[in-house]
Amino acid sequence: MIAACPLEALPPGASFRLDGENPIALFRTEDGQIFAIDDTCTHQDASLSDGWLDGCEVECPLHSSRFDLRTGEVDAPPAKRAVRTHRVVVDGGTVFVEPSGCDG
Amino acid sequence: MTTGTPATTGTPAATGTPATTGTSATTGDLPPSLVATLPGDWYVDPAVFALEQRLIFESMWFCVTRSADLPAPGSFRTAVVGRESVLIGRGRDGTVRAFFNVCRHRGARLCTEESGTVGRAFRCTYHAWTYDLDGRLIAAPNLTKMPDVDRIGYGLVRVHVREWLGYVWVCLADDPPPFEDDVLGEVVTRLGDARAIDRYGVADLELGRRIRYDVAANWKLIVENFMECYHCATIHPELVEVLPEFAAGYAAQYYVGHGAEFGERIEGFTVDGSPGLDRIPTLSPEQDRRYFAITVKPQVFVNLVPDHVILHRMFPLAPDRTIVECDWLYLPDVVASGRDLDRSVELFHRVNQQDFDACERCQPSMSSRVYARGGVLVPSEHHIGGFHDWVRAKLAGTGSPGAGSPGAGPQDAGSPDAGPQGAGVSRDTPGDG
Ligand code: FES
Ligand code: FES
Ligand SMILES: [Fe+2]
Repeated sequence: MIAACPLEALPPGASFRLDGENPIALFRTEDGQIFAIDDTCTHQDASLSDGWLDGCEVECPLHSSRFDLRTGEVDAPPAKRAVRTHRVVVDGGTVFVEPSGCDG
Repeated sequence: MTTGTPATTGTPAATGTPATTGTSATTGDLPPSLVATLPGDWYVDPAVFALEQRLIFESMWFCVTRSADLPAPGSFRTAVVGRESVLIGRGRDGTVRAFFNVCRHRGARLCTEESGTVGRAFRCTYHAWTYDLDGRLIAAPNLTKMPDVDRIGYGLVRVHVREWLGYVWVCLADDPPPFEDDVLGEVVTRLGDARAIDRYGVADLELGRRIRYDVAANWKLIVENFMECYHCATIHPELVEVLPEFAAGYAAQYYVGHGAEFGERIEGFTVDGSPGLDRIPTLSPEQDRRYFAITVKPQVFVNLVPDHVILHRMFPLAPDRTIVECDWLYLPDVVASGRDLDRSVELFHRVNQQDFDACERCQPSMSSRVYARGGVLVPSEHHIGGFHDWVRAKLAGTGSPGAGSPGAGPQDAGSPDAGPQGAGVSRDTPGDG
């Protein structure tokens, strides 16, 4: 478990980028759910936390492939592979992430 | 045409100076009725045009588009202003912003279409640098590996914006001249009162028709044409029918605050004098049945009649090419009702065609040796001399070799190669327009 950010840093509609060897993007949807996925698009090196949140999907800012925050699946090329999803826990006003295994 | 025949003088053709006049180009040459125009090469010389781009179009307020041409967040339009392409867009907050249309990475033109809509961002088609609608760099391949790249510092470069009359005006200068002086001041100069134009409620009118003209003429020929009516009786039969005083050759712009009155049997500002559309209700009685015209230098003409407003925007593209976009604006109800605007639009559309044909007819002669020292202005055109003085002063302002200091008046013909200043024919008095 990694403490990612305070809950206030993630209002509805916002994103947060957790830097690291495999950066993780956290999103809080408009209806309040929090999701974590790999931050780096599987097409090119774009940061999905810079993308656009739309319901439970995020659109890559560079070439518009959309990833489902719940499954990591991608809807349409140019990205072809899913991103990994990561488990999120909110505790005491802090958002924690449990990174999935390296080979997810 | 009246200046003698170079072939008989033995003067080398290149000088273009007919020996019959015997003297250099000064006002002393001309009888008092006549005033010199700018020399011919001011209308063809790429060096002059380059100075105009820099010192006029890229330095002054320039009207690019109607605000309503950008109806929603993400709507954009591009426009040529001087040497630059400018990108004008509406942000998510509804604000209109303008940028140089240049990607900050390696310079690709960001938007190549003349108008359109983007979803969320302007994305460069070369390496996908992506800018949000307020110009900030929001994404780029590998951007997170370059945390030292400032997203505002490497955002799109902003251009100053003002909205007035329902149009977006931009200024590419770092320090724009005061809009109040440069733009609103022209209205006061012309109408005698800035509030006179407010009564037309131009910003609340709707676009009824837009026609674009691609004119093979220098922008100054178009301005000069718009400023005088010496040609009206000859080339504008329909207009003179509606505004009979134009037959005398005095443009509405000749007198401050004067509007040309409709002829007695004329019912509206239409191609056949038939009734126009609904009158703008806020006009004063003195504004009814009259035509007013304003030139907002360097590239806007505003024509005011009781039931509509015609606004021209010029986009000078080359010494001999100018795009003119002309909008006919009516009360919203008139446009919404789908009423027939044809006879209303047709009057000034014909005027435009007649005027632009005349300008195109002059353009090729600008490089004739007969026109090397320019032509002449008759008394009803003398106020055009004020425009010429203004152009000279602008180009003398800075920058060109041998130019005077800012604000210096026209320089005398010293060296023939000194650019516009050197080539100029100086005059004693500005026009009295
Ligand atoms: S980098 Fe994400 S779709 Fe291309
Ligand atoms: S030139 Fe625009 S992204 Fe490279
Ligand atoms: Fe005309």
